[in-house]
This record gives sequence, C-alpha cells and structure tokens, in this order.
Amino acid sequence: MATAPDSPLVPSPSVPPPPAHVEFKALLLLVLMAALVCSFVLYVMYARGVFESTQRLVLISDDSEGVLVGMDLTFSGFPIGRVQRIDLAPDGKARILIDVPRKDANWLRTTSVFTLERGLVGDTRIRAFTGVLDDPLLPPDSERTVLRGDTAAEIPRLVATARELLSNLQAITAADSSLNTSLANMQTMTGRLTGQYGVLGGALGSDENAKKIIATLDRVNALLAKADQRVFGQPGQRGVMDDAQAAIVQLNGVLSDARNSLKKVDAVLAEAQAVGSNARIASNDLGALRAEVDASLRKVTQLVDEINRKWPFARNTELKLP
Amino acid sequence: MLHLAGIALVMGLSPSTYHRANRNTTYRYIYTSTWQILPWFTLLSTLLSLVLIRIVLVTALSYGLSRYALEMMVRVLVLELIPLSAALFVALRAGAAFNSPQLLASQSTAAPDISRLQQDLVPRTIACAFSVLSLATVSGVIVLLLAYINVYGISPWGLPDYTRTVGRVFDPAVTLGFALKTLLFGLAVAVVPTAAVIDAARRNITLSSTLQPGATRLLFVLVLIEVGGLAVKYI
Repeated sequence: MATAPDSPLVPSPSVPPPPAHVEFKALLLLVLMAALVCSFVLYVMYARGVFESTQRLVLISDDSEGVLVGMDLTFSGFPIGRVQRIDLAPDGKARILIDVPRKDANWLRTTSVFTLERGLVGDTRIRAFTGVLDDPLLPPDSERTVLRGDTAAEIPRLVATARELLSNLQAITAADSSLNTSLANMQTMTGRLTGQYGVLGGALGSDENAKKIIATLDRVNALLAKADQRVFGQPGQRGVMDDAQAAIVQLNGVLSDARNSLKKVDAVLAEAQAVGSNARIASNDLGALRAEVDASLRKVTQLVDEINRKWPFARNTELKLP
Repeated sequence: MLHLAGIALVMGLSPSTYHRANRNTTYRYIYTSTWQILPWFTLLSTLLSLVLIRIVLVTALSYGLSRYALEMMVRVLVLELIPLSAALFVALRAGAAFNSPQLLASQSTAAPDISRLQQDLVPRTIACAFSVLSLATVSGVIVLLLAYINVYGISPWGLPDYTRTVGRVFDPAVTLGFALKTLLFGLAVAVVPTAAVIDAARRNITLSSTLQPGATRLLFVLVLIEVGGLAVKYI
C-alpha cells in the first residue's frame, strides 16, 4: 500500500511536487468514466428493451405463482417477450401482461398455444407453441388462456398412481396370483415339451392323444399310398391318369374332325349366299319386265279401243231425243 | 461522522467550493486516488474475477445449471464483490494519510475548521467517491466481458442472449441500488476515517501508528451498507 509521503491529503513543503499533466489526466479520467457510465446505462436500457417497439400480449392463468416481472416468454427456446406486469383480474384469475417486440411477434399466430411450466428445480417458464406458421398474426392486446404444467402439483397424483401400481404389482406377485398359476402351468407344459412326444404332447395335453395323432398320420400315409397306386398305376399297368391322357388325345382328334366339318359348312353357306344374291338381282329384272308388259298391254288395249271406234261394227252410242 | 458527512455533501454541492485552488487539489486527489491505482486494481480484480468466474461456471455446468451461471456471475461479482473490494482498496490506499500529524494538528480545535475542510475534505471526498465509482465501473465492465468470453467464447452469437440476461439482472431498482451503494461506499471511505481523525484530535487521543484511524468503524459502515443493500434487494 501507499506510504505517507505519497499521499496528497496534507500538502506540506516536504511533499514532492505533483507529476506533470495532473489536471489533464484527471480530466481525462473524468471524461472516460462519464463516457463509460453513460455507455453502460445505455446498454442496460437497450438490454431491457427500452428502445424496442413492442406489442402487448395478455395471458390469463388460474395461478401466477412463480411468474416474476422481467421473466421471459420463450418460443423454441428463444426469448421473444418479457413479463411487464402481473394483475389480479376481477374474476380472480391472474393476468400476465407481456411485451413482445414487434420483430419477434411474427412467431405468434392466432392458433398459438401458451404454457406455464413449473418444475421442481429452476424457475417457472412461459412458453409459446405455434403449430401452423401460416395462420394470421396474433393481433396486439390479445388475451389468451395459458395452459399450466405444474410438477409440484403432479406429485400427489404421481404418488397415488405409484401406490396403485405397487399394490397391483404385489397382487401379481402373490403366491396364489394368476401370474404364479400361469408360471406353474408353463412349467407343466415345458415338462411335456421335453417328454417323448415333444411339442405334440405339450400341445395335445397328454402322450395318449399324441399317440392317437401319430396313428392317424400313419393311416393317412397308407391311404395316400393306395390312392397313388390307383391314380398313377403300378409299374407295368395303366392307371387312371394314363386313361385320362388317352381320352384327351382322342378328344383332340374328334375336335379336329369337327373343325374340318365346320369349314365345309362354311363353304356351303358361302354358295347359298351367292345363290341368294343372284335371286335378288333376278327379282329386280322381273319388276322392269312387268312394267314393260303392262305398258304393252295398255297400248294393245288402246289399239283395240281405237279399232272398235273406227270399225263398221261399231255400236252407235249416240242417243236421239224424241 | 454524520455531521461531517453532511458538511462534506453540502460543500461538495456548493459551487463556491470549486474555485481554482480547490479544483487543482481535487485533480491531484483524483490523480492520486484513481489514476495511480486503476491499472493495478483492474489487473488484480480481473485475475480474481477470472478465477471466480471459472469456479462458478464449472460448478454450474457440473450440476446442469449453466443457464443460471451467467446471471449468478453478474449478480455476485459485478453487483456485490467488485464495489466492496473497490471501496476496501481505496480505503487501504488512502489509509496511511490519516496518521498525518498535520491533519491532527489542524483539527485539534473544538469545531471543525470550515476552510480546512473545504480545502481538504471536499476534494478528498469527491476523489474517493470518484475513485470507488471508477474502479467499480471499470472492473465491472471487464468482469462482464470476461463472463461473456467464458460462457460463449469469442463469438458474437451469444450477444443477444447475454444482453437479455444483463437486462434481466439490471432492472431499474437494482441499477439504482448499485449506483447508490457505490456512491455511499465512496462517501464512507472518504468521511469515516476523517471523522475518526477529527474526533481523536478533539479528545486528545494518541492514534496508533500501525492502525488506520476509524478502520473498524469504516469496515462496519461498509458492511452495513452492503448488508442493507442485500436486504433491500433480496428480502
């Protein structure tokens, strides 16, 4: 530390003269300190959002315990707002007034959900969740009900549930419990599985039943062997399948014959079609011939009438009045 | 002591005190009490703060409470320890001067010599208050920088989060309390030993050359201011 001669407190002739530029250095210190203090004050004001343009959001909760003025409203872990005031509404609910900077307000939409979470350790958190970012923006001075998640309040329910769970577990692990019975049955079953007939004995319940099943299988095998002999025949003999194959070959021949016959029928039908067309043409000619005959007959009739008129034997058709 | 503090305040706020001779004296006191000790105190407080910051940070990380580490550093170091250590440092730095026989002789009368007080006490009070304020401010700013670098590293991306934390800590009441406490520290460091010297001179008490006059009283006043500030802030 300093010694007495260094001290300027008591000016005396024994005190050495002051260093050069004391006044300048002192003034420099004063200016620097003033600048530093002003800068710090401005920084703190900026940090507290004094220069930010904000919009108001009101969260309504049944209980505002743990909520403090100045705490953050976070969205995806980022602080986007700050609690400015906490009021008690006339209906007994807490109104948490939050200032959200306008540059961060675009994260809040009309469908945003707000939660108030209080853990066992740490402070209370107010969070915002926005599922659909295309929804309309949350208007200023909006009021939203906050969803509360209180760990301390969940503890009694958790203890009750745990107690119920433990009692269930105790009932399950009791000597006469269903689980123990099932395990005993399982043990019996595994004993059967390791017996003479293995899984079959375990599945059917006893070795006798397994023996019956095996006897049935033997009979089925014998039946299948006989059927095989009948269907496919023995060596040197024809079986049912061989006869069926020969019948199919013959059926193919019959079908080819029928195809040839149908071709002939097709030719006959073609000729009949040609005859029909000729008859139709002849019928058309007959019409013209008839018309000519009719015209000739009309001419002959006119000729006969003319002859009758001019012939001396013509009747006098003139009537004379008396 | 309170009477002397009142006189010092009144004379400090009186424009007639600041004539040229007093201004020069004040500059000399400021030079002696601040300019000469600022680098060393800043270096010392930086080293100690670095150690404390690392301890707090490592402990908070090991317990998974790293989000509270920065706030705790600012609250403990900047708001509490740095101003108190600055006041103690200034008090110890200026302590030897109180044993000066000239000061005792000058104040041996029943009533304080106003002109002597005006020449010595007011510049000294201003210089001590300014010294405490300067040391606390410079060291506080350095501690804030160190805390940022230790928590976020040399990267600008933690600045918004850091700024928000600082803003949360320095609410208006805390900032006002911090400024008031620092000023009271400065006033106490300047006034309490002087009052002790004057009181001893009046009562013809021989002061021990090894003990700073009024040291116990000064320590008591400093602790009282600190505890009072904590009580108002947190209780």
